[in-house]
Amino acid sequence: MKKSKFLSAAAVAVAATIALAGCSAGSGAGDSGSDTAASCKASTGKVTLNFTSWVPNMDKVVALWNKENPDIQVKVSIVANGNSGTYKNFFNQLKAGNAPDIGQVEYDTLPAFRVQDGLANIASCSGVSDAKADFSDGLWNQVTFGEANSVYAIPQDSGPMALYYRKDLFDKAGLSVPTTWAEYAADAVKIKALGGNITNFAKGDVNQFAGLVSQAGGQWFSTDDGTWDVNLTSAESTKVADYWQDLISKKLVNTLPSFTDEWNNAYNTGQDWTWVSAVWGANTISSGAPKTSGKWAVAQMPQWTEGDKASAAWGGSSSVVFKGSKHPAEASKFLVWLNTSKEALTALNKEANLYPASSTGADLPALTSGVEFYGNQAIYKDFATAAENIQPFTWGPTMTQTYSDVSDGFGSAISGSGTLSDALSSGQTKTIAALKAQSIAVK
Amino acid sequence: MTVITSRRRAAKADAQGPKPKGGFRYRKAVAIFVVPFAVLFVAFYLVPILYAVYQSLLKIQRQGTFGAPTQVFGGLSQYVLVFQDSVFWSSILRVLAFGIVQVPVMLALALLFALLLDSPLLRGKRFFRLAFFAPYAVPGVIAAIMWGYLYSPSLSPFKFVTGNVDLLGGGTILWAIANVVTWVYVGYNMLIIYSSLLAIPTEIYEAARLDGASQFRIAIAIKIPLVVPAIILTAVFSVIGTLQLLTEPLVFRQFTSSISSTFTPNMLVYSTSSVPNFNLAAAFSVVLAVATFILSIGFLRLTQRKADQ
Repeated sequence: MKKSKFLSAAAVAVAATIALAGCSAGSGAGDSGSDTAASCKASTGKVTLNFTSWVPNMDKVVALWNKENPDIQVKVSIVANGNSGTYKNFFNQLKAGNAPDIGQVEYDTLPAFRVQDGLANIASCSGVSDAKADFSDGLWNQVTFGEANSVYAIPQDSGPMALYYRKDLFDKAGLSVPTTWAEYAADAVKIKALGGNITNFAKGDVNQFAGLVSQAGGQWFSTDDGTWDVNLTSAESTKVADYWQDLISKKLVNTLPSFTDEWNNAYNTGQDWTWVSAVWGANTISSGAPKTSGKWAVAQMPQWTEGDKASAAWGGSSSVVFKGSKHPAEASKFLVWLNTSKEALTALNKEANLYPASSTGADLPALTSGVEFYGNQAIYKDFATAAENIQPFTWGPTMTQTYSDVSDGFGSAISGSGTLSDALSSGQTKTIAALKAQSIAVK
Repeated sequence: MTVITSRRRAAKADAQGPKPKGGFRYRKAVAIFVVPFAVLFVAFYLVPILYAVYQSLLKIQRQGTFGAPTQVFGGLSQYVLVFQDSVFWSSILRVLAFGIVQVPVMLALALLFALLLDSPLLRGKRFFRLAFFAPYAVPGVIAAIMWGYLYSPSLSPFKFVTGNVDLLGGGTILWAIANVVTWVYVGYNMLIIYSSLLAIPTEIYEAARLDGASQFRIAIAIKIPLVVPAIILTAVFSVIGTLQLLTEPLVFRQFTSSISSTFTPNMLVYSTSSVPNFNLAAAFSVVLAVATFILSIGFLRLTQRKADQ
């Protein structure tokens, strides 16, 4: 889930700074008890759970639950998305021992929270192991880290990627949808000649870039016997970097920071023509570029080899119970409802365009009918196809750091000093240093 | 003569007389006045600083990737990392370059405005005093957002300028920020200098005018030398503020790609702590605090020595 929430992002950033200055007297690194699924006892009496999320309109979905469960009341705070400051706040709150009971964490950042010992193991909470049947093995593996007797999160939505494009502009220019990256680059030249940009390459969206790398068959991390191998500069990774560097050097793409007013404006005024993004992006475009309603369409991602069908994931969130919550049983009960019940999934899709990770959600009527903003195309069917072709990708244990360092390098490349490849090599060095700082074995 | 001294002695004895009796009450009164400050000072200043120093001496240890992390004493290992970190030092050099240009410009403007407000030639003083000071009343985040929009190439009301000149590019962004900081703080510094001008006894001006000095001459030869202490004070504040630059660049990240997460020292501390690597972030802040302290004391010493000469 991502959404332009400019002011709240700034506010969170500032609040986080204040929180940072005030954070003290933490209990060190938390209780160092081992993580074997602790007993998950229900509390007695009325319970109030705090839930922090950046899903728009989450309060409306939670209201459905609160009405039917007077004894387990959930209080929602809607905040800026994770990488815009909320993860920082979570980390600080965990350190200070006052994290909310439940939080939203994207799959790529789950390991980072696990490394900080911030996630409660809810495997023995009732209903959790039954929920396994609702999710694909790949997704379930991400929330269990492949360990027995372990469940650290319940998958909420997934982020299969595809190509959003301005069908009207492509038709008018006599262009067909690019099916390969070579065609995409060729179209970029033609679109530039017409005064537009094929897309925007944002330095902050390193998670999008990771998706592009995984589509090309690359991996950034692998682990062997507990020792990590960091490989940001693999052949596939470099290929993707060089491809986009070429578009940036030739000034064929816009380079605004993403999810900002200026970035929205570029889409709203038709300067930027396409966006390689995840399913939740449907909501981002329709709210950020309302003037372009009905003019968009969705196609599968361009491929490196003609005829391939590779896709990737960008984002996708899970719901976690933070360590230190006094009510893991009630929190798990709520999360199972939120992420696997037809009622909640329908509401999440209606209110926030979430594409449910649970198979229960796959046949929701809203996910099979046409969407007006996208010219009545049944876009969720296309994303279902994309979801089947997602290439697996292993996330590193300090993704927030990797993203931030690579993003700095991307920023320099966009400003004309260095290249995207340089950014990956410096990201490589810094990631290894960060792993060492966390005392994690690394090759 | 002896009469006078004995009288003085008597007066002294009188002053000392009641002290042993009322001393306890007197000390209690002092305590009542000091305690609120002392409690806040200790709780929100000393304790956090000591906690940061303590944190900076620790490092993380764990078993395997997901073993629970424990903090163990790491000696000065975080400080070794700080001194090896070229990014940290280049961020310090960046804000120093910023300060060398921005602080003199800002203080020169502040002095000029203060002198204008103090000069009898200007009309509408009240209005101008408020107008110059108003930007300081705008919260820093709001000011930065506002300027961000003004600079933006496609959303600015001055598109004919910002569309052609990239004010947010890698080469100009530091000075775009300097402009915002100057806009916000000129009025504040002006007020400090102005209040110091108001404290100058008017007899001095009268004497100067009798000697035939013009307003300009009075400003150069009398007013400026007399407000030098105020200017030094504002300069020290500005140097500290420069090293702690955070809000403006942080907000500008929403408008431009040319600000990295390590653009200023404080931003580096912030991004390191959000990795999260609290120990290294603590070491960065301790080094930054010491550097700021040395720089301000050094500046004070330097200017005082000059003033003494």
